Amino acid sequence: MKGTYLGEFQEIVLLTILVLEENAYGVTIQDEIEQKTKRPVSRGALHTALTRLDEKGFITSAYGGATSERGGRRKRYYQVTNLGKSSLQEARSIRDELWSRVPKIAFQS
Amino acid sequence: MIDPSNIGPPRRAERFFKYFCDQEYFEELQGDLEEKFFINMKRLGQRKAKSIYRNEVLKMLRPSVIKKVKTQTQLNNTAMFKNYTLIAFRSIARNKLFSAINVVGLAISMAVGLLAITFLAELNSYDTFHINADRIYRVINTAYEPNQDPGLYATTSPLTGKRLKEEFAGFEKVVTIYRNFNGDAKKGDNTVSIRGLVATEEFFDIFTFPLIYGDPAQALKNPMSLVLTETSALALFGKTDVVGKIIEWDRGLQITVTGVAQNPPRKSHIQFNAVGSFSTLELMNRNNPSFMSWENMWNSHVYALLPKGEGIAPLQASLDKISEEENAKLKNWSIEMGLQSMSSVFPGKKLYNEIGARMDMKTVNSIVILALIVLASACFNYTNLSIARTLKRAKEVGVRKVIGARRAQLLFQFIIEAIIISLLALFFAFFIFQLLKPEFLAMDRNIQRYITLDLALSTYLYFFLFALAIGLIAGFLPSLALSKLRVSNILKGVSGIGANNKFNVRKLLIGIQFTLSMAFVIMVTLTYKQYKYVLGYDLGFTSENVLNINLQGNDVQTLINSFSQLPEISEISAASAVPSTGGMWMDRGKYIEGNDSLSLYNLHISPEYLDNLGHTLLAGTTFSETQGRNQIIINEQLLKRFQMGEPFDALGKTIRIQGKARNVIGVVKDFHYGMLDNVIEPFVFLGDPNEFNMINLKVASTDIVATMQKLEEKWIEIDGIHPFQAIFYDDRIEQAYSKLASSMKILGLLALIAISISMLGLLGMAVYTTETRIKELTIRKVLGANGTNLISLLSKNFILLFLAASAVAIPVTFYAFKEMVVSQMKYVIDIGALELGSGALIVLIIALLTIGSQTRKAIRTNPVNHLRNE
Repeated sequence: MKGTYLGEFQEIVLLTILVLEENAYGVTIQDEIEQKTKRPVSRGALHTALTRLDEKGFITSAYGGATSERGGRRKRYYQVTNLGKSSLQEARSIRDELWSRVPKIAFQS
Repeated sequence: MIDPSNIGPPRRAERFFKYFCDQEYFEELQGDLEEKFFINMKRLGQRKAKSIYRNEVLKMLRPSVIKKVKTQTQLNNTAMFKNYTLIAFRSIARNKLFSAINVVGLAISMAVGLLAITFLAELNSYDTFHINADRIYRVINTAYEPNQDPGLYATTSPLTGKRLKEEFAGFEKVVTIYRNFNGDAKKGDNTVSIRGLVATEEFFDIFTFPLIYGDPAQALKNPMSLVLTETSALALFGKTDVVGKIIEWDRGLQITVTGVAQNPPRKSHIQFNAVGSFSTLELMNRNNPSFMSWENMWNSHVYALLPKGEGIAPLQASLDKISEEENAKLKNWSIEMGLQSMSSVFPGKKLYNEIGARMDMKTVNSIVILALIVLASACFNYTNLSIARTLKRAKEVGVRKVIGARRAQLLFQFIIEAIIISLLALFFAFFIFQLLKPEFLAMDRNIQRYITLDLALSTYLYFFLFALAIGLIAGFLPSLALSKLRVSNILKGVSGIGANNKFNVRKLLIGIQFTLSMAFVIMVTLTYKQYKYVLGYDLGFTSENVLNINLQGNDVQTLINSFSQLPEISEISAASAVPSTGGMWMDRGKYIEGNDSLSLYNLHISPEYLDNLGHTLLAGTTFSETQGRNQIIINEQLLKRFQMGEPFDALGKTIRIQGKARNVIGVVKDFHYGMLDNVIEPFVFLGDPNEFNMINLKVASTDIVATMQKLEEKWIEIDGIHPFQAIFYDDRIEQAYSKLASSMKILGLLALIAISISMLGLLGMAVYTTETRIKELTIRKVLGANGTNLISLLSKNFILLFLAASAVAIPVTFYAFKEMVVSQMKYVIDIGALELGSGALIVLIIALLTIGSQTRKAIRTNPVNHLRNE
């Protein structure tokens, strides 16, 4: 099913939104990802990911107040929905389960 | 210091982003980009920040950001289309005056457009019936003589065809055609006068003139063979199956019919009623070395068929080789050869010695350009009146926009309206076209000869497309203006809309119309003056009351004896041609003492000619009855060019012409041998009676009709076959300048149309202006303004426009007249302020009358009627 699959970048975006709590909007998400992953992220790429997540129902968004540094334009704040959280959990549990089954020997080199 | 207005994201990138970004995301994304930009600016500086911004914008070009193309509008197209049509008809019906002005103006001009389309379509269908039409090329000559413009000829030497065939490559087949094959063919009691061609055997291979009887490959092979057309075969034999039969030709020659061809199609530039074999001509000229000479380039045409899929370069190379070799033998002049494709022969560039139909490409172009000008003028009317009425349609536009119409839809709606008007106009235009057709054909003998303006099915399609195009063009600007209106402005109250764009396109268009009308009127005036001037020009001899009769092969003396019995004929002479009407004959002449040679124009005349035509002899006498063949009479130009001194000094000198030494026995005053297109060149009168083609009768009669009848009776006594051909010299001269007369008529008609159209437009504008300003006018009147004040108030703007228009029209027309109408003529009228100003004045007066009539109507009504409603 197309809807539930969570791509790597999308997962990072979701987690970042959770990290940022109340202050998750375009610029902060972009900065946070860039700082943590040390790779440049364009606002356009971020937009695509956010749109996909929105389509899957993993996030919701709402306009906040306008500020002057944005030329009077409003920010759109993002929040992770319960569906989004459960899909993150699911992804994590799959990963944990796989990690637990990795023999210790594989890391001894 | 940094310019504060310059701080901020790069403008162009911002605009670009706004252009492509989906409205739904724009606010968020733009805000984010801008916030980021200011952060970056603090950290990295303005330049770096701007560059990052631009990069970010470029990376926004992805499907999730870009505007979605909306597709739902396709769904109700038919319904909308219906609605547009309905509204269009309603709006046409509501504004009867404006619709009428538009439809009438467009209809008149479209009729001219239809004429041009039919004309072009017919011209383009010429010579297309040849199966190999795209591979047939004609050899054309350019002759270079010292002190003269190069002459372009449709003819070349028969040597070209012969040498090509025998020695050169670059073509599949080549045919040589000799142009003048005229005479009478007899069979028993039947005589047919042949106007035909003589051609080599490839004629029927290259051209698609199918033979009904006979073998196309063999028909023109042997001497003394002839191919008749259906019509001439029927006239001679009463049937077409006549291969192998013998016909009698002049001087008792017996010719065998070897084929019968279908009549050449009307749309062929090559016309004939018989084709003789070229080998006959070669046989007859076997003792005449000048026939196959390189210099004999006046009567033969060479056409070549190129091999499939090859260009003209190899053939051109062969031609260059031939002319290089042959020119080496020439003294004083040289000939170059070129190639002309079949499609560019008719209509084509102006060449001397054309084989048949001729139509100057310039004529065609000027007709098309004139039609376009008239059309443009009518389109301007539509544009102007529609834009002026923007105000009235504004509410409709506003409501449509509020309901959700997009600009493109409104644009479409108003263009549909224009197209409906133009289709209506097409309907009327078609009738006007039918009325104009015979008039147009009658304007010029040339046009009438080659063009019928019959309508083909495809022409109707062109008409329809044409109307669509006109609708599009006329409706474009108004639709743009109407669909541009802003909803907020319209709904706030319509007051500002019409006035705030001080619309200058409208003024410009009216100005152009004025200019065109004036240009036409001035042009007609000038052409008329020139025409009168040319006809009244002193040619150097008297053409009055001289009747020229074409001999058509009859014996000169018999006719002269017969005609001289009539008391009305006071003088009779004979000549080889009628000078000053276009035809010119030329030979090389060598002055024995001066060792100099020149091209000499000539005319063969009988001794009485000089007296009859009122030429002035400066020295010497006219020809003696018996010695004419050895004598010449020269003109002053020749005297000058050969440096013979005074007229009397020239008498007795010898000039060698056509290989024969001839004595100068007289000198005449210069006269115009050619038309007024040419300056006077060296010229000789020769006196060989065998060359006579015309006789000139000086008629002194009070009853011309009766005299002509008597002359015709005399003619029939002698020649029962050919119709009597007589025409007064003055009429013949007028015919020779018919081109000027027909361009005058065409220009006159167009001037009339252009003026009517622009005045219709002006009337519309005047009605509109007075309508919208009626209250102002009434108040002014109540306060004491009189009629003159008001008229000048309303026409002030038009007068300014008018002055600007005349400033453009007068010099442009002056230039156009010099360059186009009389560019070829050496004798031209003096153009003064009167000629130029009168045209402008006429347009001004008509314009003032138009505006004045409207204003008068407005101010004569009782002021109460306009003021009581508010």
